[in-house]
Amino acid sequence: MNKEVIKGSQNYIPVEIEDYPTTGWQKFKQVVRRSLGKELFVGLWVVLREMLKFNIHTVQYPEEVLPLPSRYRAVHKLLRLLESGNERCIGCGLCEKICIADCIRMETKEENGRKVVSEYSINLGRCIFCGYCAEVCPELAIVHGSRYENASEQRAHFVLKDDMLTPIDFLKEQKEFDGFGAVSPNADKLIKKTPLAY
Amino acid sequence: MTKFYIDGKEVTAHKGETILEVARREGIYIPTMCYISKVSPIASCRLCVVEVKGVDGFVLSCQTPPTEGIEVFTNSPELFQHRQNIMKLYNVNHPLECGVCDKSGECELQNKTLEFGVQSQEFSAKEQYRPIRNWGKIQYDPSLCIMCERCVSTCNEAIGDDAIELKFGGYSSEIVPKGSDVLECSECGECIAVCPVGALISTDFKYSSNAWELQQIPATCSHCSAGCNLFYEVKQESHFDNTPRIYRVKNDIEHVSLCGAGRFGFDFANSDTFGDFETAVSKLREAKTILFSSHITNEEIEILNQIAKTTGAKLVNPEARKFQQFLKAFATTSGETLYNGTLEDIENSNQIIVIGTKIATDNPAVRYAITRAYKKHRAYISYLHPVFDSTLQNTIKQFINYEVGTEEGVIALLADTLITNSNLDLDIGYLSGETNIGEEELETISKIGKRAKNRTLIVGSDLITHEKSENIAKYIGLIQKNSNVKVVIVPPDTNSLGVALFGNLADEVQAPTVGYNIEGDYTIASIGKCDFSVPALNQQEGTFVNIDKKVVKTNVAVPYRGKNLNDLANAILDNPKRWTIDYTSELFGVEFDELQDVEIVSKMYRVSGDVDEVEELPSFDGAVVYNSNPFLQFNPWTAKAIEEKPYLLGAKQFAIANKLSDGDMVRFEIDGEIFIREFKIDNSLKGVIALNPIFDKGLRSYKLLSKYRFQRVQIEKVKSNGRS
Ligand code: SF4
Ligand code: SF4
Ligand code: SF4
Ligand code: SF4
Ligand code: SF4
Ligand code: FES
Repeated sequence: MNKEVIKGSQNYIPVEIEDYPTTGWQKFKQVVRRSLGKELFVGLWVVLREMLKFNIHTVQYPEEVLPLPSRYRAVHKLLRLLESGNERCIGCGLCEKICIADCIRMETKEENGRKVVSEYSINLGRCIFCGYCAEVCPELAIVHGSRYENASEQRAHFVLKDDMLTPIDFLKEQKEFDGFGAVSPNADKLIKKTPLAY
Repeated sequence: MTKFYIDGKEVTAHKGETILEVARREGIYIPTMCYISKVSPIASCRLCVVEVKGVDGFVLSCQTPPTEGIEVFTNSPELFQHRQNIMKLYNVNHPLECGVCDKSGECELQNKTLEFGVQSQEFSAKEQYRPIRNWGKIQYDPSLCIMCERCVSTCNEAIGDDAIELKFGGYSSEIVPKGSDVLECSECGECIAVCPVGALISTDFKYSSNAWELQQIPATCSHCSAGCNLFYEVKQESHFDNTPRIYRVKNDIEHVSLCGAGRFGFDFANSDTFGDFETAVSKLREAKTILFSSHITNEEIEILNQIAKTTGAKLVNPEARKFQQFLKAFATTSGETLYNGTLEDIENSNQIIVIGTKIATDNPAVRYAITRAYKKHRAYISYLHPVFDSTLQNTIKQFINYEVGTEEGVIALLADTLITNSNLDLDIGYLSGETNIGEEELETISKIGKRAKNRTLIVGSDLITHEKSENIAKYIGLIQKNSNVKVVIVPPDTNSLGVALFGNLADEVQAPTVGYNIEGDYTIASIGKCDFSVPALNQQEGTFVNIDKKVVKTNVAVPYRGKNLNDLANAILDNPKRWTIDYTSELFGVEFDELQDVEIVSKMYRVSGDVDEVEELPSFDGAVVYNSNPFLQFNPWTAKAIEEKPYLLGAKQFAIANKLSDGDMVRFEIDGEIFIREFKIDNSLKGVIALNPIFDKGLRSYKLLSKYRFQRVQIEKVKSNGRS
C-alpha cells in the first residue's frame, strides 16, 4: 500500500489503491478474481434490485430532456410582440455589428415606409453562443432559446429567419423571455423616462 | 504668418486661416458639428468653442483667426460642460430611432452624444407636425434635422444651385426648397453627403443596408474628365447571393463635391459575357484598325498600343485625336505641351472666362470650382456661349451669346482682349459684327482683368471639335504664353487627356475594324449587347489622367466574370502580363500600388507657330441643335445606371420658329444618326437653339463626340401631341 501523506490543510481523502499487477501471473489472477468473484454479482444485484423497485434515474433522452435554466444560451429565437404579433426585430443591425464571431447576416428593405428585415440568418457553425447579440438587442427580439441539438453534416450550419421566428399561430405559446439579455425585474424602477411635451 | 499657442504647442497660422484650421492641420482635436472646410464657416453649432487666455468667454474657433501670441485652450471642464449642454439641446425631441435610421453608425449626433456623455433626454419641447418630405432622389425628415445648415451652405457655396434654404420658426424650423414647393436642382446629392445626421437621405438607398455592412472601395468616377475621388460602398447582392454589388457612393465631403452622375450613377457594372474568346483574339489579330473611345484607363491604352505594334493595326480615336491635335497646335504658340491651369486655379480666380462649353453638365467639377471662386473671391465670371444656361445664373455676371460657328472669331477677340499689347492684326469691327460680341463687352472683360490678380480661361469641347480648331488652339496658346491668364482646356471625355498623351493615334480607318467601347465591325464593349464583353470601369483597376493632369487611380468595386483586354492581349503579345496594372509601371515608372501624387508635367516646346488670320466666319441658319446631356447623364453607362427619358429641349422661341408644340414627336438626323425624340419646351432656355441629349444612343454616341456639337438639322414632326 502506497499511502501518500498529503500535506497542507485541505481535507483530502486519500483513496486506497491496490498495487498494480506487474507479472503476467498476477494479471491473470486479477482478471479471474474480478470476473468470477463476487464483484461481478454485486454489480448485477444492485441493478436488478433497482429495476425491481422501478427506481430509474436515467433521463430517457431523447424522449425526455432536462429542463434548462432560462439563462442557458442555445440556438437563438426571434420573438414577436405579444400583443400584435408583429416581428420585434427592427433591423437595427446591432446584433450583427456586435457579433464577435461575425456569423449574423441580415437583409433589410423598405416596406410601406418602414424598415423591415427580409432575411436574417446565423451561422451556428461559427456562433460561440456568447450571447452578445441577445444582450445588445434593443427590442428583445433576438434571444437565446434552449434548443441545443444542432448536429450538422457541415461546419457551416445556418438557421434562417423562419427557423428562429415564433410562428404566428404559436404566438400564444411564446413566453416573455427572462433569460440572457432580458431586462432586469426592477427595470421599471431603473429606467429614466423620455420627457414628452404634448 | 501668425505665431500662437494651442494647448501649449507653438503653431503658426497662414494668412486667412482660422484657429480651427490651424488646429486641424496640427492634428489637435476640436469638436465641431456645423463646420466643413469647403464652405465658409456656418457658425451655427457653437461646439467648436475654445478658451483664449485673457479673453472673457469662449471663442468660436471655426470662424476666428488667431492673433499673434495668443494662448488657446481646447479643453477644460467649463468647455466640456458647455459642449455637453449643446449636445443636450441637440437631443431635445430628437427621435430615438437610430435603429431605423440610415445614418446610424456614421451619425455625428450619435458620436458626439456619446462623446459628451449625454445619457438621457432631459428636456422636451412641444413637438410640431413636420412630415417627411420626398424630393425625388432625396428624402428629408425634419424631425431628425439639427439645423446645422451644412446642406444649405454646400448647395449654395460649393455647388451653386442654391436650391434649398432654412425656413425659420423655432421648433418648427425646416429646410425647404427655395422659392418652390418641389425641389428643382441638379440632383448632385451633396446635401445628403454633408448632412451629419439622417435628416437627408438617398431615397434609393433607404433602409437597404446598415452602414457598417458596407465595404468602402476607393475609386475614381469614370463619367467625366474631372475624375472625382469617390468611394463605392459594396455589399453582397442579397442574403443568399454573395456577389458584391455597389449600394451607394460616398465622398470625402471636406474636399470633394460629386455631381449626381457620380453619386447616383454607379450601377453600371457589366454582367454580360457575350462572345467567344478565341474569336475575339483572332478578330483583334486581323484588325487593320482598332477604334476605341476615351472611356478607358491609361493601362488599357498602353495595352492597345502594344497590340497595335504587334499586329500592325492602327489605333483610331477620333475624339481624343482632335484633342491631341488641339494640344499640339496649342503647344506651337504657348511653348508648353499642356495647359497650365487646374481646378484649384479656377477656385482661386478673381476673373473667369468660360468659352465653348455647357460647363454645368459637361464637367460639373469645373462648375463647382467656378461657384467657389464666386463665393470665396467674388470672381467676375464671363460665360461665352451661344446657349444661355440658367443654372449658372447665380454665379455668372456676364453672359455673352456669340453666334454659332464663330468660335474662331470669338477666341481671336478674346486673345486680343486678354493679352496686353497683343499686336494681333484683327478686323475688330468685322469680327465683332459676325460673332455678335459687342466691343463694350470685351472692354468689361479687359477692365475687370486689370484688377484681377488670378485669372482663368476655361475652354470647352466646342472649340476642340470646331472646323478651325487648330487656329483656335493657337490663339489659346498665345493667351497662355503672353498673359497672366491661366488656361484650362476641359478634356471632352473621361480619359481624353490620357489617350492624347499615351495613345499612338492615327487618322484613317481601314476595314476590318475592332471597336473597343465604340462601334466597330467587331465590337468589344463593357455595356450591352456586343460581340465580346469586357468589364466596366468600376470592375477594373487602373489609372486616368484627369483635368488637373494628375494620374488618379481606380479600383475594382465589383468583380467581372469574364475576360478583359489584358487577357486578349496576352493571347497576342509576346510577353504576357498577369494583370492590367502591370502596365502602370511602364507608363509612370512606379507600380500601381505605390503610385501616388503623379502629375503629368508640361514639357517645354519650341514656339514655332503663329496664328492664322481669321477669315470668313460661317453662319448657321435654320434649326440648330446642340448636343448636350442633362445633369445626371454623360454616356451609355450613366444611361444604364440612371433611368431617364431623353427630350429635345427648346425655348418657346425655338418651338415657334420650327412650328412645334410641347409634346410633339420629332425626327431629325445628325451625321447619319437618327433621333426620334419628344420635344419639350423648357422655359429656362432662351433663343433658337435646342438641346439634344445623346446619352441614350449607346456606343453610337461616341461617334458624335468628335463632331462639332452644334448641328443644323431638318426637323420633321412625326406625331403631334394631339393637344394642338
Ligand atoms: S451568441 Fe455571440 S457569436 Fe453567437 S451569434 Fe450571438 S453574438 Fe454572435
Ligand atoms: S439587435 Fe435586435 S432589433 Fe436589432 S437587428 Fe438584431 S435582432 Fe433586430
Ligand atoms: S440622426 Fe443619428 S442620432 Fe438621430 S436617429 Fe439617426 S442615427 Fe440616431
Ligand atoms: S438637413 Fe442635415 S445638413 Fe441640413 S440643416 Fe438639417 S441636419 Fe444640417
Ligand atoms: S461625373 Fe465628373 S464631376 Fe461628376 S462625380 Fe464624376 S468625375 Fe466628378
Ligand atoms: S463648428 Fe464652429 S460653430 Fe459649428
